Amino acid sequence: MAGPKRRDAAVLALAAVAITAAATAPFPQGQAAAGARSQWAGTPVAQLLPRTSIQSPLPSALSPQPQADSQDCLSCHGDPALALSLPSGETLSLFISPEALAQSEHERLGISCDSCHPNITGYPHPAAEFATRRELTHSLYLTCRTCHSANYERTLDSMHAQAAAAGRSEAPVCTDCHGAHDVRPPDEPRSLISETCGQCHTTIFQQYRDSVHGKALMRGGNPDVPVCTDCHGVHNIPDPRTAQFRIQSPELCAGCHADPQLMRKYGLSAEVYQLYSVSWHGVDVGVYKSHWPGIWHESAVCTDCHGVHDIRTAQDPASRVNPDKLLGTCRQCHPTAGPNWTGAWTGHDPVSRERTPFVFYTQAFYRSFTPAVLIPAALYLALQILRALAARIRRSLP
Amino acid sequence: MSAPARGSPFSGRPPVRTERTFQRFNRGQRWEHAALILSFTVLLLSGLPQKYRAAAWSQHILATPERVELLRTIHHWAAVLLIAEAAYHLGRALWLMSRRRLSGAMLPTWGDVRDAAGMLRYLLFLSRERPRFGKYNFEQKFTYWFLFFAIGILIISGLILRFPLFFTRFLPGGIIPAAKLAHSTEAIVAGGFVLLWHFYHVHVERLNLSMFTGRLSEEEMRQHHPREYERWMSEADAEAQAE
Repeated sequence: MAGPKRRDAAVLALAAVAITAAATAPFPQGQAAAGARSQWAGTPVAQLLPRTSIQSPLPSALSPQPQADSQDCLSCHGDPALALSLPSGETLSLFISPEALAQSEHERLGISCDSCHPNITGYPHPAAEFATRRELTHSLYLTCRTCHSANYERTLDSMHAQAAAAGRSEAPVCTDCHGAHDVRPPDEPRSLISETCGQCHTTIFQQYRDSVHGKALMRGGNPDVPVCTDCHGVHNIPDPRTAQFRIQSPELCAGCHADPQLMRKYGLSAEVYQLYSVSWHGVDVGVYKSHWPGIWHESAVCTDCHGVHDIRTAQDPASRVNPDKLLGTCRQCHPTAGPNWTGAWTGHDPVSRERTPFVFYTQAFYRSFTPAVLIPAALYLALQILRALAARIRRSLP
Repeated sequence: MSAPARGSPFSGRPPVRTERTFQRFNRGQRWEHAALILSFTVLLLSGLPQKYRAAAWSQHILATPERVELLRTIHHWAAVLLIAEAAYHLGRALWLMSRRRLSGAMLPTWGDVRDAAGMLRYLLFLSRERPRFGKYNFEQKFTYWFLFFAIGILIISGLILRFPLFFTRFLPGGIIPAAKLAHSTEAIVAGGFVLLWHFYHVHVERLNLSMFTGRLSEEEMRQHHPREYERWMSEADAEAQAE
């Protein structure tokens, strides 16, 4: 698609679409920005950013020519009508919003346009080598790794990279989540992270938005509830459908739900994980976690009963662990369970007379029965041994 | 009843000392005990790694999920043997009872309380004489009845754990965690009791193999079961007089 002819065609197209340009879509992922900022803390990226902003914005290899000021580029690209017709039939707006650019993190750091567009060093620009907007994105996003190499490499282990390797071109790359010209801190506000993921994962995002976590996040920007990346990771997002992810998921929940300070803030018990880990399900899961994490195991983990993205409080009538719905939840795994079955669940609470009387009285019985039998038996035997020794000594005396 | 003399069949030699032995356990009782040893040992050994699954030694044994399954299968088959033995034992007792032939020798009596007090006096050097025991002394009766109820609890709680869906059809769900607690705790108490109490009395205090040979020597009878010995002697005298 490259070549002088194609370039001429492109220039003609600029004029042709000028009128309709206002209606065309802005640059893809215009609003997107995701990834926890905390992710950057302590990474080489965090140290790199301020330093490069003070001295040379980027390694000189990236900008062999004297850097063009972004104002130079905006003299053309500040025109909302500027657009390009692609061979695919798509129209690519070439408009860069000066306002969005001015607010971007890169502009603030003085990073010039040609840092990310290294092939464009002057005018006229080289011929476009892409047939679709997606091809353009794929040809440009790799420049991110020049500075953000650690995070780029993390993405290579991610579920998204697997999808891309399987030929799914819509699998997200850097700019799909972070934006391009308008790149901003991805967690301001914090709910932006989940909203970014929700651009593609719409159903899951709707479930999450109505969950106890999502509601707290969306309403008041709660700093404690998990956003997508807290459970799924940021750049190296693993496949959550593997045996390994499943068996380790209770630990993930425990990250917050076993934190006494955090749980006290919301009037929740911080013992839930500890009590789970000694329960029937939990012991089983613990063994698989430490020995056979790669073997799929059905013993219930937190999400099997509480839900995954749609977690609600147990008091919520829509919650799977609401007393009215609990039996149905048990029957997911124990399909023939009768109505008494839920009574077998000792809950995430310590043994008590009120909640779990059978266990309580059994425990009380054995706490007295065991020593009441074994201690007198041991004492009796000790006396017998002493007496037998005494008798033997007496017999051996002359 | 019989106390056959094991005499020397050789003539022309000076008669060797003859020793009479007395039947203590019949063949059926000895087989029952063998079944009990086998099932109880296998159950204890296959149950412990399941109870202590979080412990390193247990995870060494249960190194693969297949081994967990195998161990459970072994435990369940040993339980089948124990349940069969318990059913036979109870069934035979009921059958004998219906014919009024069940011996009451194993039933606890006030005499056992007196014997225990007397034994305690002897052990505390307050008395020089041991109590004179009958066929089963109070230690042996305690062993029997302790294990009787322990095995009852283990079988019931084990069945609840094996068939939880069935039992919660008519029993409250709370019995399942209670059965889990009772099963593993009772097993430890019973196992500890057998190791401590039973093993001391039949292996250390004196080697009492009557449960395998079925018989006790006259000397053992005189020393450890004098009341039973005297009863037999007087019965034998009465028979001799009758003849």
